[in-house]
Amino acid sequence: MKNMKWLVLSVFVATFFIVSCGQKEEAKVEEKKEAAEAMVYKLGMCLAITGPTSDAGDPMSKGAKDYFRYVNDMKLLGEDKLECDIRDDQYKTENTKRNFEDFLDQGIVFYLNYSTDSTQSLKKDIEEEKIPTTPASYHAGNLVDADYIFLPIASYSAQAIGLAEYIVKNHTGGTPKVAMYVHSSAFGRAPVADVKKAVAAGLDMEIVVVVEHGKDLDNTAMLKRLSKKGVQYIICQTTQSPVATMLKDASRLGLVAKTFGEKGKITFTGCHYTGGNDLVALAGPAAENFYWTTSFNITSEPGVWTDAQLAIAKQYGRNEKTAKSHNYSGGIMMAQVATEVILRAKARGKKITREALYDELLAMNGVNAFYPVVTVGPVTYSKTDKAGVDTLQLYAVKNGEFKSVGKPFIPEYTGKIK
Amino acid sequence: MMSYFFQLLVSGIVVGSIYALAALGFVLIYKSSKVLNLAHGQIIAAGAFITYALTGWVGIPIYLSFLLSMVITFFLAMSVEKIFLRRLIGEPIISIIMVTIGLMSILDGIIFLTPFGSVNFSFPQFLPQELISFGGVSISWTQLVGVIITAIMIGGFSWFFKKSTVGISMRAVSDDQFASMSVGISVPRVFGLAWATAGLSAAAAGGIIGNITGLNFETLQAFGITVFPIVILGGLDSILGAVVAGIIMGVIQQFASGYLDGNFGLNGTAEVLPYIILLIILLFKPHGLFGIHEIERV
Repeated sequence: MKNMKWLVLSVFVATFFIVSCGQKEEAKVEEKKEAAEAMVYKLGMCLAITGPTSDAGDPMSKGAKDYFRYVNDMKLLGEDKLECDIRDDQYKTENTKRNFEDFLDQGIVFYLNYSTDSTQSLKKDIEEEKIPTTPASYHAGNLVDADYIFLPIASYSAQAIGLAEYIVKNHTGGTPKVAMYVHSSAFGRAPVADVKKAVAAGLDMEIVVVVEHGKDLDNTAMLKRLSKKGVQYIICQTTQSPVATMLKDASRLGLVAKTFGEKGKITFTGCHYTGGNDLVALAGPAAENFYWTTSFNITSEPGVWTDAQLAIAKQYGRNEKTAKSHNYSGGIMMAQVATEVILRAKARGKKITREALYDELLAMNGVNAFYPVVTVGPVTYSKTDKAGVDTLQLYAVKNGEFKSVGKPFIPEYTGKIK
Repeated sequence: MMSYFFQLLVSGIVVGSIYALAALGFVLIYKSSKVLNLAHGQIIAAGAFITYALTGWVGIPIYLSFLLSMVITFFLAMSVEKIFLRRLIGEPIISIIMVTIGLMSILDGIIFLTPFGSVNFSFPQFLPQELISFGGVSISWTQLVGVIITAIMIGGFSWFFKKSTVGISMRAVSDDQFASMSVGISVPRVFGLAWATAGLSAAAAGGIIGNITGLNFETLQAFGITVFPIVILGGLDSILGAVVAGIIMGVIQQFASGYLDGNFGLNGTAEVLPYIILLIILLFKPHGLFGIHEIERV
C-alpha cells in the first residue's frame, strides 16, 4: 500500500512537471508567433464627405485614404498594417461625436478630425481619452486647454498675420488700410483678434473695418463703403464661395488691384480655406490677382513634391480635380503625420499606444522634424508648439492658376504676440 | 453722395428681384395646395446643376441649356409630386410638410452622389463683361439678364393665375379642394402642375444665382431658406407679394450694409435688419403684405 502511495505521488509529480514544461514551451512558441505576427493599428477619421464644406472634406478624405492604402501596399510598416476607419459626419457635430465614441470602442490609437466646431466640442473627450488628434481645422483656439490636439499646419491666425506682414512689407506710402472679411463663427473671428494683437505689438497697419459676411448676392454696398474709407487690402478668412461672389462684384466695379497694393484699388488676400483651385472654379477670371497663403505645395507649381502627390492619386484612380486639390494634399499630410509617429515608435521598439504616439509627436522637432513632401516646410511639434508646419507660402492667381510669390516664410509676429 | 445712394438702391432692387424669383416656387405650390415645400432650395440647386451639366458636359449652348433645364426640372418636380406627395392629398398639411423635409434629405443624397455634391463649378462666361453704367450707377449684364428673366417669369405667372383656365382652376383648388372636385377640376393634376411650375421657376432662379455665386451646392440650396422670410413677408400665396417683399429685403440689406455696417460700432446689420423689419410688419399685417386673410362663416 505504501509503495502504491509512492507510485501515485511519483506519477502525479512527473505529470505535473511534464505539463508545466510543455506549457512553458507553448508560451515560448506563442511569444515567438506573436512577435512574427503582423499587427494592425487602428485609426479613426471623421469629416464632411457630404454636406456643407464637403468640397474640402471629400478630397481630404480621399487623400488620407489613399495614403493609408499606399502605406499598406508598399509595406512601409513592414508586415504591420494601418486600418483607418474614415467616416462622413455631414458636417454635423452630433455625428462626429457618435463616430468618435465608436472609434474609441474600436481601440484607435490616433484620431483625425475635421471642423472647428466638432474639434471644440470633442476637446474634453480627446483630453480625457489622451488620444493624439490632428484636426483639419487650423483654428488657434483648438490648442487652448488642450494637450492632445496638434494642428497640421500654421493656424488661421498665423496665416492672417503672415498676410498682414506681407502687406506691411510691400506697401508704399504710409500705413496700409486693411479690412478683414470673415466668416461669422469662431473659425472666422479668431484671426481678427490675433491680427489686432499684432498691430498692437507694432505691426504698422490700420484695421479699418471687420466685415462678417452673410449669404450675399451682391457686395456692391460693402465694397463701395470700403473703397470710400480708403481700404486698400482685404484679408479674407472664410470659405471660397463668399470670396468668389465678392471678387466677381469687385471685378465688375473695377476695384481689383492688378498689381499688389495698386493705389486706388483693393488687393484681395486670404487664408487657407479661401483659396485653391475651387476659388478659381467659382470666381473664374475674377479670381485673377487674388493672393492666398497656405503651408501646402500646390500642383500648379510642379516639382518633386507634387509629382509624388499626383503619382499616389494616379495609383488609386483619382480624377484630375481631386489629384490637384490642396485639400487632397491636406488629407495626405494628416495621414503622413499619423504614419510617421507609428513608424518612429516602432523604430524605438515601443508598443504602439496612444501615449507612445503622443510622445513621438512631442519629440518631432529639431533634427527629428518631419518633412512631408506636400508641405512647404517641416512639421515640428513640442510641448509648447502644437502647430505643425510653421512655414507659409504666398501664392497669387496668374492666368487662372495659383503661382508662388516669393519664398516660403514664417510670420514674425506670431511669436511676438504669444 | 447721391450716386452712392442710387447704386445701393439699384443693387437692392436687383438682388430683391432675384430673391423674388427664388421665392416664387414657394408661392406657386402654396397658392394651389397650401403646402410649404421645404425642399425648394434643393430644386434651385438641381436646376443650376442641370444647366451646367448640359453646357459643360454635353456641350449644348448655355442659353439652350438654361431653357432645357427649366423643362427638365418642370418634369422632375412633377414626378416628385406624383411619386411622393400624390397619395397624401387630403391628409393633414403638416404630414405633407414633413414629407417635404424627407424629400430634402433624399434630394441632398442624390446630389451628393453626383460631382456637384462636393466639387465647385462655374458657368462659362457668356455675357459681356463690360458694366452697364448710367449716372454713376452700374450693374453687370448678369444682373440685368437676371432681372429681365425674373420680370418675364413673374409677369407670365401672374397672367397665368389671373387669366388662364388652368391658373384659375389652380386657385380654385387652393380655395376648396372638395368644391373644385365637384365642378370637375382634377385636384391631382393641379397639384402636379403646381409642383412642375415651381420646379420651372426654381431652375430659372438656380441658373441666375449660380451665375452670380458660382456652383456650390451649399450656397445654392441655402437660398431656399434665405428667401423664406420674403415669402412670409409678401404673403404666402401672393406673387406680387413675393416681388414687393423681395425688393424690400434686397434694398434694406444694401442700405444696411452701405450706411450702418462699419459705423456706430455696428456690423452684420444687413443680415439682421430685414428680419427685424419682417417682425415689425408681421405685427401689423400677420398674413404678410399681400396675403389673403381668410374669414370663414360658421
